[in-house]
Parts: sequence; structure tokens; C-alpha cells
Amino acid sequence: MTTLNRAWGNLTLTGKVLLPLLFLLLVAGPILIVLIAQFVAPFLVDLLGANLGIVRFVVAVTGVLLFSIPAAFIIIYMELKVIARMNLRVGPNRIGPAGAAMSVVHGLKVLMKEDFTPTGADHLVFTIAPVIVFLTAVMTFLVIPFGPGLVGQDLNIGLLYLFAVGGMSVVGLLIAGWASTNKYSLLGGLRAAAQVVSYEIPLTLSVVGLILLAGTMSLNQIAGQQAGWFTNWFVFRQPLGALIFFIAATAEANRTPFDLSEADSEIVAGFATEYSGMRFGFLFFAEYVNVFIISALLVTLFFGAWNAPFPFPQVEVALDPGTLGIGLLILIAAAPVVLTLVFAAPIYLIRSSTPAWQALVLGFVLFNVVAIGAVFGIAYAGLDWMAGLVWFMGKSFAFVFVFVWMRATFPRVRIDQLMGFAWKWLLPAALLNLFVTAAAIVVVDTLKAG
Amino acid sequence: MTAPAGPRQHPSADDPRIMLDDQIGAFETIPPYPPRTERESEFFALGDGEMFLNMGPHHPSTHGVLRVVLKINGEQVVDLDPVLGYLHRGVEKLCENSDYHHIISQVDPLEYVSSLFCEWAPVMSFEKLLDVQVPRRAEYIRVLTGELLRISSHVLFQGFMALDLGGLTPILYGFIERDEIVEMLAAVTGQRMLFNYFRIGGVNGDLNHEFMSRLGDWMSRALTQAEANAGLLNENEIFVRRMRGIGRLDRETALRMGVTGPNLRAAGVAYDLRRAHPYSVYPELEFDVPTRGGEGGGDSLDRYLLRLDEIKQSLRIIDQCLHQMPDGPVMGKLPRLLRPRPGRAWAAVEAPRGLFGTYAVSDGTHQPFRLKIHDPSFVNLQLVPLLVKGNLIADTMAVMSSLDPIMGGVDK
Repeated sequence: MTTLNRAWGNLTLTGKVLLPLLFLLLVAGPILIVLIAQFVAPFLVDLLGANLGIVRFVVAVTGVLLFSIPAAFIIIYMELKVIARMNLRVGPNRIGPAGAAMSVVHGLKVLMKEDFTPTGADHLVFTIAPVIVFLTAVMTFLVIPFGPGLVGQDLNIGLLYLFAVGGMSVVGLLIAGWASTNKYSLLGGLRAAAQVVSYEIPLTLSVVGLILLAGTMSLNQIAGQQAGWFTNWFVFRQPLGALIFFIAATAEANRTPFDLSEADSEIVAGFATEYSGMRFGFLFFAEYVNVFIISALLVTLFFGAWNAPFPFPQVEVALDPGTLGIGLLILIAAAPVVLTLVFAAPIYLIRSSTPAWQALVLGFVLFNVVAIGAVFGIAYAGLDWMAGLVWFMGKSFAFVFVFVWMRATFPRVRIDQLMGFAWKWLLPAALLNLFVTAAAIVVVDTLKAG
Repeated sequence: MTAPAGPRQHPSADDPRIMLDDQIGAFETIPPYPPRTERESEFFALGDGEMFLNMGPHHPSTHGVLRVVLKINGEQVVDLDPVLGYLHRGVEKLCENSDYHHIISQVDPLEYVSSLFCEWAPVMSFEKLLDVQVPRRAEYIRVLTGELLRISSHVLFQGFMALDLGGLTPILYGFIERDEIVEMLAAVTGQRMLFNYFRIGGVNGDLNHEFMSRLGDWMSRALTQAEANAGLLNENEIFVRRMRGIGRLDRETALRMGVTGPNLRAAGVAYDLRRAHPYSVYPELEFDVPTRGGEGGGDSLDRYLLRLDEIKQSLRIIDQCLHQMPDGPVMGKLPRLLRPRPGRAWAAVEAPRGLFGTYAVSDGTHQPFRLKIHDPSFVNLQLVPLLVKGNLIADTMAVMSSLDPIMGGVDK
């Protein structure tokens, strides 16, 4: 009793308040859950069922918002690590295995920093700018098909929606640059505006040829049309369009060699110069979410979306766990033990210096690797969307790697070269691509008819 | 009854009320005082659509603490004004109050990237004052270590050039080479950056085994490595286009402005102090004086490429030094107390950035009466307004970086 008393005395005021609450939650929580399930649930299910569209939308938005954070984290970590290897450095290697938790810690650091508004800044605009930038980036996720059926909203004007929403990010960048009351920010914001608006045109025109070929603007249907062998991918029918899209999308996402709006050797950090804390975090996240989006778009439009490069022979996994009966229980109970021993045995036997417990630990790790692999293999073979997701993510991150690679390699272009390139080369090339595609469609149609 | 005379109240930038009371105009002109010269009144008069951009002294790409006030119209630089003095330590005055041996460590951090050259010039001028004979082995060692440091300075320049244009990688490749060189020099001198190695009458300590083995390893791959690193940039279309035709410096302007070193040679003038006024053992060594730039003078790309040419010539010199180096002592005979006769002596060396010279005046005591230091970066930096005007903001970096100033030497 005295021990309890002493423990209670050691608690701070916050602890004294929180501890009873915790007990209350543990006791009252289950009761509440039961009550809700008993009385509110039927009504709730009816309500949700009546508004399935809204529910689907809310779930999709939540999923997309939740997905954007780890995606950005992975890309940030990738950028740190890949550029480090290309610079002959080691990169982050302290936090987590091989520094893998680095970007999580980055995120926490950004959250904990002081949220600072410079004197003379327009507070409201200054605050709302990163939100616009981040939301426009994340909102484009809604129409991207991650796999068969794995699409937030299958809009029939998906491509149009993408460019419309993506183009709105320039508003955020511009007002971020203007509201900071900093000349570097102003220059960065204006550069971003000029650049994004200029590259929007070749970017949009480069996919018009593809739209003509596909006959639809729904990303889901464009993805579906590229099924089968990889020769069906639109990159082979629209090579020039894919190239223009790649370059213009790089400029849209403010990536090297077109990262003029945050050119650190010229205008310090561009529109983000005065930002700190989580407001900077939003700008920072948006940049990496954009990298993923342009990679995902490249994959969706030109590189076969979620389709594998060649049609796999259909593997039938007709495994219904229910038919195993009690055997299933035995399998789940016995497989870990047996397989751990099986994997541990050779390790123990081959090297006599290995202690038995090390062999067992290694065996258990090996078993886990194999088991996870097997589960994923079965899921891949049995579930369409799983296979699609694997291919989509693999291809997208391959392109993310290309963007990171470009960042490590290229110097930055100059503003006049940037604008000249957009208006003198990309725009005529995009128009040429459009005319050639349209003419080819007409010719082919005429030949088929005649 | 008057109010009690308290301390006068100054408006403080830290006081939030004052900042809130009178809104600061973020885009107002910079100087708080009325113009003092004709140049100031011309510079600080803003035209239509122009604004000032204060770049530095804390800016990622001004190479230390250079501050440049840019007058910009959109992206175009209309006028600019470099502001110096943020790193002023009064080295010349310190030297007047140090005895002759101490001066070597005072001048060391002037050009901190290639500090041996800062030691070399004063040491040579003191030797002239004292009539000291430097042993030939010591001279060879000076040339050898100096040329090593010239290479390290130029590879670092190459990296910073790329960094200022937005390329992340070459700086680290440059630092690998520099690290090798600096480590092998540290094996001889005991320091990695400010070597404090040259002495009046010779050098402090002979070459040792670690230095020679490291040098041998490095020399076997230095040329291929330099070419490989250059390939990353020289064949990059973006890089070449950023540099070509920017900051064109013609012969006459270069000579008129007193430019020396690679910047002068890139403008087409084959003036190298090692050949024009030979010192040390350079007459015995074979090397070319590379020049670049055609009729219209040299641009930033020429200045960049010329330094790569110089790396190859320096490698040639190191090779010859290793083959021709005689045996013998590395310190000459010196009196215990250095009291040179009253007089004056000028000595200059070809540093990686141009002519680094000292003019020593002795009044017969153990300290110099005056030590004037001529630093090449200071002279070369005068070109910035000439070359940048009319270009874009991004070109400011390309030009300034290609002139390769070291602020430690500029501000002294």
C-alpha cells in the first residue's frame, strides 16, 4: 500500500489527472463499444449504405492523405541515401536500420520547431500558402489508379482534373513567395509562377495525342488499354509525347535541373526561405509528393500503369482455408516451429562455432522472410489488385529513382534557358506530336474504312 | 522643472512594439544615410521596376562572407556593388607586431585553401632582406608541395563551380582529391589546412616516408581521376551552356584591371610568374603556360577549363620534382636572432589565384616596419561589377565562382 502511495505521490499533476482517465478508458471503452454495436450500429450501417458515394469518397481521401506521408518519407529517405551513394558518401546510417527512420525523425523535428511568421508578413496568406501547395499535391492522388479497382474516384475527366488541380499549386507557391515579405521569396515565387505556367502548356499538349489514341480521359481506362504485352504501352505509340511529358513534368514538380524556384545557390530557398516548422514541412512534403505523382503519372499514361510487362500465365491458387478444417489450426501452430527448426538446422550444423540460440534466431528470421514472401506470393497470384499494386509501385519508384539520379547529376538551368526551352522547343514539339498523331489516326481510319 | 535626464531611448529592432508601430517597408532602399559620393547616389537611385537584392554576407554561394548588393530589374542585374570587410582581421598590422618567424603563421590563413603560397611570398621577401641561401632540396620541396596545393585548390574550385550552378556531386569528388593531398601534406607538416611549413631559409622538416608513399599512390591515378571528374561537367550540356559566353573578359580590360593568374591567362595573356619572373627552381622544370580565350577574350567556361589545364601542368611539375630532387639539408644557415639590415624587398609567387606578393620594409629591428600583402583575389574581385552587369542573377554566381575569390585573402 505504501508503495502505491509513494508512486501516486511521485506523479505530476498531469499524471494524476491522466492516470484515472486511463483506467476509465480501459473499463468504459469496451462497455461503450458493446453499447454502440448493440444500439447505434444498425442505424449507422443503414445511413452509410444509403450514401455509399460519400463514404467511398471520404475513405478514399483519408487513404490518400494517409498514403502521402509514407510515400514522401520513402522518397526523402531515398533521396538522402541514393544521392549519398552517388556522391561516394554513406548517407544517413544512425537512426533505424541503415538510417531508414531518418525521414521520420525529420518529420518529428519539423513538427517540433517553432512556427515563425516574419514581421510584416501577411499572416493569413502566409499560413494558407503551404496548405494550398500540399493539398493540391495530395488531391491529385484521388484519380490515380494504383491497381485494378484501387482508384479513389474514377472520373471520366481524370486527366483534366489532374492538370486543373496540379496547376493550382502555382497559386500556393506564388502567395507563399509574396506573403513572406522577403525578396528571395518573391523572386522564388515569381520564378515558380513563370515556370509552372509555361510548362503547363507543353505538359497538357503532350498527352492530347495520347487522349486521341485512347479515346478517353479516364486514367483507369487508359491504364486498362495498356494490358497485355509491354508493346501495348503508350510509350511505344507516343515516344515524343512521353519525352515531352517527362521533361515538362520535371519542371512542373520543380525538380533538378528545373528547380529554379528554390535554387539554393542563387535565391537561398526561394519561396520557402521564411518558412519554418510544420509550414515548411508542408512545402517540403508537397515537393516529394509531387515527385511521386509525376512518376505515377508517367507510369499510368505511358508505361503500362498497373499492368505487368508481359501477361503472366494464370496461376490458380484454389486454396480455401475452410476446407482444411482442424488441419488449418495444426498448420498455423506447427509451421513456425517446424520451419524455424528446419532453417536453423543447417546454420547450426555447418558452423560449429555458432551457438544454438543464434542459429534459432536466424532460423526464425529466415522463416519469417519465407512466410511473408509466401503470403505475398499467394496474394499476388490470387488478388488482381495486389499484383497491380506491386507493378505500379515498382515502376513508380523506378521513375522516382530516375528523378533522384537527375538531381545528383545535373546542374541547374538558367531562367532564360528554361523559358526558351519551354516555348521554343517543347511547345512546337508537342504540337508536332499532336498533329502527327491526329493525321495518323485519320489515315488509319480511312484505310480501314476504304 | 525639466524632465530628469535619463538615458536616451533608441528604437530597438528587438522591441516588438516599435516594429508593430511603424511598419517596416520591406522593399525600401538600403542605406540609411544620404549618399556620400557620386557613385553612391547613382547606385542607390532606383529606376522604374528596379529593386535591391542584398546577397550575403551569409549566402550559400558567395564563397565566404562577400556581400554583394544587386540592383535588379526582374531577373536582370542592372548594377551591383560588392561590399568587403566582413573578414578583416588586420593581418598586415599583426605582422608589424610579430617577429619574422611568427609572421609565417599570421599570413597562413589569408588564402586558406592554398595557404602554402601565402607563406611562400613573405618567406621569399625575408630571405632577400636577410641574404639567406635556401638549400636546393628545400626549394624543390617548396615547389613540390606548392604544386600539390595548387591542384587541390583547383579541384576544389571545380567542385564549387558546379555547386554554384546547382550540381551537387562534383564538390564531393573534388573533396576526395583534396583530402588525399591535404592528408599527405599533413604527414609532413602536421596540419591539414594551415600548414605553417615554410621557414625563412628552408622548410620545416624533410619529406618523410608516409608522404612519399601517399604521393606515389595518388600520382598513379591522379591524371585519370582528374579527367574522369572533369568528364562529369565538361560534357554536360547544361553546365556548358550556363558558362559559355558569360562574363567575357578581354585582354585589354584584364591587363588594365591588374588581373593575374588563371583569370588573366584565360583572357589570352600568357603571363605566368613562374615563367615571367622565375623564382625558386622553376627555371629547371619543364611545363607549359596554358592559355585560353580567343579574340573576344575569355568567358567563364574558359576560366574553368584553364584551371583543368593547369592541374595537368602541375602534375608534370610534381613528376619532375620527384625525379630531380637532390639530397641535402632542408634549412639554410640562419642567425639565431633575425635582424635584417634596413631595406625593402618585394617577392611574389604564382598562387592558384594569381600573383601573391609581399613587400617587406625592414628598419633593422626584429619586426618588419611594414608588410604589404598583395592578394590576387582582391584584384580579381574588382572584375565582378564589370562582368556581371547586364546578366541574370544566376550568372552572378557563375561569374563570381569562375573568378574564384577567397575572402580570407580579400579582406586580410
